[in-house]
Amino acid sequence: MTAAAKPKEKARQTRAGWLLCAVPLVGLAELVLHMKQTSSDVVPESDWTVAREIVKAELQPDDLILFEPFWTDPLGRRTFGELATMKRSGRSDERRFPRAFEVSIRGAHNTDLAGWKKLKETKAGTITVTLLENPSFTKVIDDTLDLVNPERLSVSRVDDGVEQPCTFQRGSSQGGSTVVPQGLLVPADKFVCQGGHVGVAVLHGLDHHPHVCMYATPMQGASLRMKFSNVTFGSSLHGHSGIQWLVERTPTPDKVAVTFSAFDRLIGTHHHKVGVGWVGFELPTAEIDGKKGDLVAEIAPSSQRQFCFEATTRREVSR
Amino acid sequence: MNKIDEQDRETKRTDVAEQGPLADSTEEPKAAPVTAPVADDDANAEPSAANAEAKEREESHAEPRSNETAKKNAADALPIGARVSAWAKRNVDHLIGAGIGLVYVLWLLGTARNLGFSRDEGFYFSASSEYERWFKLLFSTPGKAFERSAIDQIWAANHEHPSLVKSLFALSHQFLWGKWKIFEDQSTAFRFPGMVFMGLALWITYLFGARAFSRRAGIMAAILLGLMPNVFYHAHLACFDVPIMAMWIACIFTYWCAEKKGGLGWALAAGVMYGLTLETKHNAWMLPGVFLPHALLIHGRAMATETSKTARLPIPASLLAMATVGPAVFLLLWPWLWNDTLPRIQEYVNFHLHHDYYNIEFLGVTYFGPPSPKSYMPVMIAATVPTVTLVLFAVGAIDRLRVLVARLFTWAGTALERTFSWPKEAPPNDPVQTDVLLFLSLAVPLAVFLLPRTPIFGGTKHWITAYPALAIFAGRGFDLVATRIEALLREKTTWGDAKRRWVVALVGAFTCLAPFVVTRHSHPFGLSAYVPFFGGTAGGADLGLNRQFWGFTTQSLDPWFRENTKPGDTVYIMDTAWQSWQRMIDEKRIPPWLRGVGSPAEAEISIVHHEQHINEVDYNIWTEYGTTAPEYVLTHDGVPIVSVYRRPPGLQRGRARNR
Repeated sequence: MTAAAKPKEKARQTRAGWLLCAVPLVGLAELVLHMKQTSSDVVPESDWTVAREIVKAELQPDDLILFEPFWTDPLGRRTFGELATMKRSGRSDERRFPRAFEVSIRGAHNTDLAGWKKLKETKAGTITVTLLENPSFTKVIDDTLDLVNPERLSVSRVDDGVEQPCTFQRGSSQGGSTVVPQGLLVPADKFVCQGGHVGVAVLHGLDHHPHVCMYATPMQGASLRMKFSNVTFGSSLHGHSGIQWLVERTPTPDKVAVTFSAFDRLIGTHHHKVGVGWVGFELPTAEIDGKKGDLVAEIAPSSQRQFCFEATTRREVSR
Repeated sequence: MNKIDEQDRETKRTDVAEQGPLADSTEEPKAAPVTAPVADDDANAEPSAANAEAKEREESHAEPRSNETAKKNAADALPIGARVSAWAKRNVDHLIGAGIGLVYVLWLLGTARNLGFSRDEGFYFSASSEYERWFKLLFSTPGKAFERSAIDQIWAANHEHPSLVKSLFALSHQFLWGKWKIFEDQSTAFRFPGMVFMGLALWITYLFGARAFSRRAGIMAAILLGLMPNVFYHAHLACFDVPIMAMWIACIFTYWCAEKKGGLGWALAAGVMYGLTLETKHNAWMLPGVFLPHALLIHGRAMATETSKTARLPIPASLLAMATVGPAVFLLLWPWLWNDTLPRIQEYVNFHLHHDYYNIEFLGVTYFGPPSPKSYMPVMIAATVPTVTLVLFAVGAIDRLRVLVARLFTWAGTALERTFSWPKEAPPNDPVQTDVLLFLSLAVPLAVFLLPRTPIFGGTKHWITAYPALAIFAGRGFDLVATRIEALLREKTTWGDAKRRWVVALVGAFTCLAPFVVTRHSHPFGLSAYVPFFGGTAGGADLGLNRQFWGFTTQSLDPWFRENTKPGDTVYIMDTAWQSWQRMIDEKRIPPWLRGVGSPAEAEISIVHHEQHINEVDYNIWTEYGTTAPEYVLTHDGVPIVSVYRRPPGLQRGRARNR
């Protein structure tokens, strides 16, 4: 080593030496972070209660409440109780809500609400409650999920044009075990057909989110016909469908077709392709906007048993 | 120093000089290969504690056989105190290693009652109880125990895994709980062998670190291995992951000793140890990936020379023993294989080659089959091993890689008759290539997880065998840090050796503080815990990392159950195995008045363990109870672990309300 290189080498070694001596400081930083994460970063129960009261004071029946990040959803539902309704927690989509209360921690935000207008932001300790307005609100006129009862819905199995009525039963749910996955729980209250059923359940979608829907089992060799009575139509029929997530995560060419009609006229057919996950569809009904009548949904024969869908009549609201 | 010690020192120097690397260090203290720091300025520094300690270790470990008898006779003449002292001095490394292991086992025993039972523990409790029947038969009527009907009936239970560890669970249960009543809980008796395996892992890790590098490196290695939240969790369980970690490093250490010391005894020990490792868990089938390349590296030239001379391939004795004694021990200790041996081995192999893929969440995606994400293993290591440990590992591993590369350059220079500008001095030779062995023992279990077909559902536990080597490098890393600190203190202060040693000890304790606090805090939610630099438990949840698996957190609901349930209440136990639930009831870890049921429809109370793929159960409970609101959410650092739902009063089953 030359004489000039020696001091350089020495300086390099000194720097490396100091750097090595600083390694235990990584432990110190780790400790400080840990202390913070296990004390002040943990949201106290009282903050959740305050957040609930903030929301409750301004909540309107059609408002959405959601919790972010999504892993806080159980905590939110626990504290918000009956405010966290099935339709809010297991929503089909966000467009049906005019406003949303986003209850969030750790700076998380729901990306689906990115274009929404912020009306108000309130702090509840470590929780931020943000009230947002939906720029593309579509008002729900009638929701078929509310009509799943013997008074408003009749279900039948259709074999070669021959209708076989399905009976409404209040019984026990079917499903559930100590192994997973378990599949969709067959609800206790349901229309029972030969080889199928229709009832309201909560689907675990491919997006791992809950979606309240009609668990209507397609049948092999027969169609499943559902007639909702006295439905008020709007400018369009909105709907969503999904298949149990385990089936959906292995895409196949299989499809489930649901055909909607009213006043003996075809509204349209939605094809759910296995693998697309919880997906929306929109069928125009401008010509029957404002009319009341029966809505018929018919599911074509299919081997995909764990099919679930929902449909609403809606009207665009300009803001 | 007494006369015997003086004699020992003389003779040991001779002995060590024949052994290789450590011998080199005795003769050339400034260029100690594996024991001394490699930095240039360290070589000029006064003899470090590590050097002095290496000398002491050599003195205490390298026992020349020729003097053993004379020494023994002389020692017999000493008073008992001096004899104990001499024995302790000779075995100081074992005492330190075993001491660390013992303290850790006591810590595990002290915290075992807080930790619920995972699904697989339930299965192993059940299998071990079966095996216990066989041992009782063996002790009472040995002839019957060896009848095929008895063997096939009993050992069929859980025959997808070898029997050694479950046999130890069974014997521990039979004697430590049943006969001697040392443990109050049956589960603790079942779990105890697993805990002892953890103690063994720490002991061997210490020994390996101490003998390869320095006592300080060994101590830090053992402590840092124990202070990993995931390892601490698994060390409690009556499962095979920690036992295989212990046997993996023990087998490699035995092989290393066999290569260093030679002789039939060590070779046979390596064979037996490999058999025991095979009999612990199937990870052992990967060990040839460690031994073969290593043996080829250190014996390759000699083997080639010998083969060219004699036309016969000489195989190192330790390898030969592992290839012959190993499988024999494996067969001998597993009664299930005593009948229909080949088909049953085939069944065993097929089970693991075609194992189901279970669901596991990683970065927000639930994986359930190949291809597994290549980033899973590195990200999960970074997210679960305390960061200071990983930084120390990086320091230690880079140092050893530097030495290996320097050796390679020196070898290439010699072979090509060229002089390279680096290294300036030839690094010390290590005939047994300890660094290569340690890198292989780290890399082989990890490399498997870079293959697309390797299932990842076990989280970190499936590469847990890599952690002792990781910890040993971390220990070496600390050694370098401590040496630097000592050098700085010498340069900047007038403190004496003792004071400097205290400072280094304090730095060591300080370095371990974060891993200790994080590990302690993680209990009993070890699988939910992520390191602070990943945001802790909440950070793991933000990133979409798995929060738990196999339902062991049910027991943590006990305080809520006691406050909020009444006799006869039915609980849907969800991901809890029936055997685990029953054991928790039997041991009053949860209120004995609860009745477990298998579906939400049958239950007044339903629980759901939060994992992404288990969301389905959560939503099914909404369908059943007509509500989305859990009555209670068990959390760790504010992150949901288990939600508890109660059927709304007066609500008929399945009547959806509150939509």
